[in-house]
Amino acid sequence: MFNSKKTLIAAAVVTAVSGSLLLTGCSDSGSADWKKMIEANDGKYLDGAVVKAILGEDDRARLVKKFDPSNPYSFEVDDAIDGGAHGNMQCKVPEAFVDVHANVKQNYYDDASYKAYGYGTPIAEAALKNWKIHVDGDGQGLPPLDVGMTVEKGANMYIQFCSVCHGEFGEGAKGYLPLAEGDPLPLATSDMNAPAPVKTVGNYWPYATTLYDYNRRAMPFWTPNMPAIGEAGYMGITGYILQMNAVKLDDAGTTIEDEDFFNAEMLMKANKYMRNAGNFFCDHRPVIANERCMKDCPDYMVGDGTGNTKDYRTAGRLPDGTPQYNVEQRIEVSPPGVGHHGF
Amino acid sequence: MTDKVVEKVAIQTEESRNQGRRAFLKGSAAVAGGVLFTQAASASPAMKFDAKKAVAPYSGREEITDVMPDSMSRKMLGWGVRQYPYGMPSPFEKDVQRRTLEWLTPDSMASITMTPLQSLHGMITPNGLHFERYHGGGININPKDHRLVIHGLVERPLIFTMDDLKRFPSESRILFAECPANGAMEWKGVQLNSVQWTHGMMSCVEWTGVRLSTLLKEAGIKPEGKWLIPEGADASGMARSVPIELAMDDCMIAYAQNGEALRPEQGYPIRLVVPGCEANMWVKHLRRIQVSNVPLQHREETSKYTELMPDGTVQNMSWYMEANSVITYPSPDFKMQGPGRYVAKGIAWSGRGKVDHVDITFDGGRNWHEAKLTSAVLPKAWTRFELEFDWDGSELLMMSRTTDETGYVQPGMPQMREIEGTNNVYHRTAMVTWKIHAHNSPQGGMIENVQF
Ligand code: HEC
Repeated sequence: MFNSKKTLIAAAVVTAVSGSLLLTGCSDSGSADWKKMIEANDGKYLDGAVVKAILGEDDRARLVKKFDPSNPYSFEVDDAIDGGAHGNMQCKVPEAFVDVHANVKQNYYDDASYKAYGYGTPIAEAALKNWKIHVDGDGQGLPPLDVGMTVEKGANMYIQFCSVCHGEFGEGAKGYLPLAEGDPLPLATSDMNAPAPVKTVGNYWPYATTLYDYNRRAMPFWTPNMPAIGEAGYMGITGYILQMNAVKLDDAGTTIEDEDFFNAEMLMKANKYMRNAGNFFCDHRPVIANERCMKDCPDYMVGDGTGNTKDYRTAGRLPDGTPQYNVEQRIEVSPPGVGHHGF
Repeated sequence: MTDKVVEKVAIQTEESRNQGRRAFLKGSAAVAGGVLFTQAASASPAMKFDAKKAVAPYSGREEITDVMPDSMSRKMLGWGVRQYPYGMPSPFEKDVQRRTLEWLTPDSMASITMTPLQSLHGMITPNGLHFERYHGGGININPKDHRLVIHGLVERPLIFTMDDLKRFPSESRILFAECPANGAMEWKGVQLNSVQWTHGMMSCVEWTGVRLSTLLKEAGIKPEGKWLIPEGADASGMARSVPIELAMDDCMIAYAQNGEALRPEQGYPIRLVVPGCEANMWVKHLRRIQVSNVPLQHREETSKYTELMPDGTVQNMSWYMEANSVITYPSPDFKMQGPGRYVAKGIAWSGRGKVDHVDITFDGGRNWHEAKLTSAVLPKAWTRFELEFDWDGSELLMMSRTTDETGYVQPGMPQMREIEGTNNVYHRTAMVTWKIHAHNSPQGGMIENVQF
């Protein structure tokens, strides 16, 4: 699901924003020269001049090039490297981060000739049965197909154990996170004065497997991994949360119905149709490649980015016009207007 | 010796030092640094405070002549040893605390406190002031019952007691731990006036523990083992996906911080340490590491701790914390005391290695002055910097900018916003700006957090 399709979507969006078409030349950016260039510059692989020489001058174009797995600064891994088709997004430490790779090389070892200390005790996988609460992006760790319940039963469980904090329809309650948003704000926004869009399972989460893993691992908040809910219950609740987020099950747009028996198979179907799945990409930072300027620096480094130092924002002021300070009587404790919805 | 000791740091001229030495030779005064005078010495007319001889900042200032009362502490015994079997800071430091903002989270068990950076000195955070971040509340774990398991794609699945771990070769490293949400409140302009709020979601302590690579060798990673999934023993079962490269680079399993056992708030009895990387990867109360062929895609690396870009795409698997810096003095917790000489102080750090330079601007970014690094300069640790400057009382726009050993130069906020937008939440690592209000303005000398 991730590599080529997502790369193109992301690249297209970024290019649309920048208004230029700098996609050409991506594929040969990983020329052998980059190693020499970094070496010649004392190994400073994020030096502004080096990054620009290897990836180009334009910040936006550099961002696009980050999606090219052959680029030494790319965090992306081609699916094919791992055998392909697992759908679970992979990222890596970029080639250009030479010091990390040098360390790693030093610490690698040949297991056959390794002399162990022997301080640990061998343990069988079966002995860890109660500890393994891990369901990964591939669906490894999911319960067998007979474990589950109808979505309707799952909804009842949800109302019993979850709705007090997340609302009957996932709308959130008492300040706790919403799990669904009827009419979500578009994610593509950067308005300084508008609230950040609320991110929920439907409009944001890339994997359905995460939902089952997290519900069982950490919810309900006060009593996680609850025997009274059990694997079947968590499966049903997960089905209900996916239903309230209108997650589809196939290309034809089949929806999750109350009477569906929700199990691992249905979960893995939904996993392919998470609405935001294609929009995730590996951390690309840093894209910004500045040079260390000391005197008469260019406008883009000064003030608001145009050289103007008179245009800035301040925090809310107290009624008497003084700024708020970190002393008890001067802290304004009311929430800011345009904050974020949880970390 | 007489009771009255007047400290006249003012007249530190060659002459005064000679006088001090003469007085000392006469056996009539205690001389520390050549500037302490006894009453006997100052009684002689030649030793009187001479305003004309005072160097500039002191000229015209009146000397203190009221007899200094002796203090109670000189008149009674102090307490005996072991009054405090575990020592605490002076009661006068009671305002130096971790603090939180209630409106950040609905619940204190999934919340965060911030370290009071404005009150710290040096490069080490005292254990009691290390910031806290819980996803399922703080817990006390009995180390006798705690185990660490390494299993999955390994040749020899192993379980370790805490004593087992301490038998391995150890390593101690001073490293910062920074929540990627540090500065999160400031993507859409500024919210609050304190470094505690703008940068306090981080701390820097000395961690001691076993190299993770040592333990991985002990278990023997299979070639298809590409990801480590560390998991905590707390209610949140915190987990992240750590690529094998990071694990083999310099990760540690720490059991001590600043010389003593980890604090419960930091994951007692053991936590994962991923130097330079997001502190939420540093899984606390670590009990299980599953070696896997694929990442977990945990909620804490998909729903949260991912960065929404202005075009609607999202970056995930974010690991390294970028180079960053902040001026802690003068900063909004302080007020300028009139024109004169000041020493700007602060901290700089980088998740990718050592800090190479810190530069300070007073004019919003046009011109910069290199600061002096005044602490040890260690990779992935806080580095202290200082710069002396003369304030003429006019308005200043102060920022600090760090350059790390990879050559990365910390950008300004407009540049970062241009690329990352305003809904990113995490990794707001651009510079902050302190506005020093002009001395003769209505807010004279106040220091305000402003954002370009
Ligand atoms: C006592 C209140 C409470 C109850 C009851 C509760 N939750 Fe939660 N839920 C929370 C809190 C608090 C968080 C955020 C935790 C954090 O930030 O670490 C959360 C987070 C979540 C999330 C992640 C949301 C996101 O966008 O990242 C999901 C999914 C979730 N809960 C599902 C459930 C389910 C399913 C149940 C019932 C089995 C449940 N919760 C019961 C308080 C609650």
